[in-house]
Amino acid sequence: MNNDSFEKFVNSNRDAFDDKVPSTGVWSRIEKALFGRTPVSLWNSLPVWRLAAVLLLGLSIVQFFGGRAPAIELDASNQQEFVAVESYYSAQILEKVSMLRNDESFVDDPLAQDFEKLDAMYAVLAEELRQRPSEKVKDAMVLNMLVRIDLLNRQLQKLEDSRRQKEVAKSV
Amino acid sequence: MYNVGYRIVNNTGEAEDVLQEAFISAFRNLHYYRGDATFGSWLKRIVVNKAINALKKRRTEQLPEDERFDVADAVWPEESEFPFSIEAVKKAITRLPDGYRSVLSLYLLEGYDHAEIAEILGISESTSKSQFNRSKKKLREILEGGKL
Repeated sequence: MNNDSFEKFVNSNRDAFDDKVPSTGVWSRIEKALFGRTPVSLWNSLPVWRLAAVLLLGLSIVQFFGGRAPAIELDASNQQEFVAVESYYSAQILEKVSMLRNDESFVDDPLAQDFEKLDAMYAVLAEELRQRPSEKVKDAMVLNMLVRIDLLNRQLQKLEDSRRQKEVAKSV
Repeated sequence: MYNVGYRIVNNTGEAEDVLQEAFISAFRNLHYYRGDATFGSWLKRIVVNKAINALKKRRTEQLPEDERFDVADAVWPEESEFPFSIEAVKKAITRLPDGYRSVLSLYLLEGYDHAEIAEILGISESTSKSQFNRSKKKLREILEGGKL
């Protein structure tokens, strides 16, 4: 296939073709569909945890053992999209964490320990993104946030269930 | 990812639906992700498939299969300077028929080769190549005809 002047022109201006940004409503619809009414118990499955572990630990190992992956320059619109997703999910996490602030049972729950580990990994990933930005790190960060939202949803569901049980016990 | 879907369906609302469906599908099928491709390329392929499905649902137009007239590979001479602006090209792409726009986007902007495009669209590799050349020819007609 000959690479004519049109193809060369597009290739050298590739980033300019990624200028569309979805409305913020899309992310809330996705979140509602995933976590809205019925909490997804997907994260009980071992393969998913394995995937999360591979993505997150792999990237941590790269950082700590001197992996010098070449920095990939992120184009502006991709970066814009990522910032929108990250801020959206971060807000969701903050909101859910604040809802659990007074829940003493959460402190000793294994879910809380998982959450803390994921939170710590996220900080490592965020630093990795700052120093050596790449699509891989961004994907791992989004996945990390989705896992944390799922953990928080499960804890909120537990709280809701126990509240209902108490109400039923009172009414009996 | 939104841009990938938008380029294929060519419509804001549909592109948002495609993005939503793709993210939900990816999340629910994470256990199928085997790690032999980057997570980004795995997700991108889901977006592409959802967008192509959305196009098929419209059923207003099929990818032209007529291969009787071959178009030369180099629609614009290699040595010449490309005479149009990025904005003009972007607008012209949105005016391409769905089939042409899909093949052109998948090859030139999403970086798939013709074997991959053939698999995605369920066509032969040679059809993908000829459709790509025709899409460039059509694009040139749109640009030079000033139909913007």
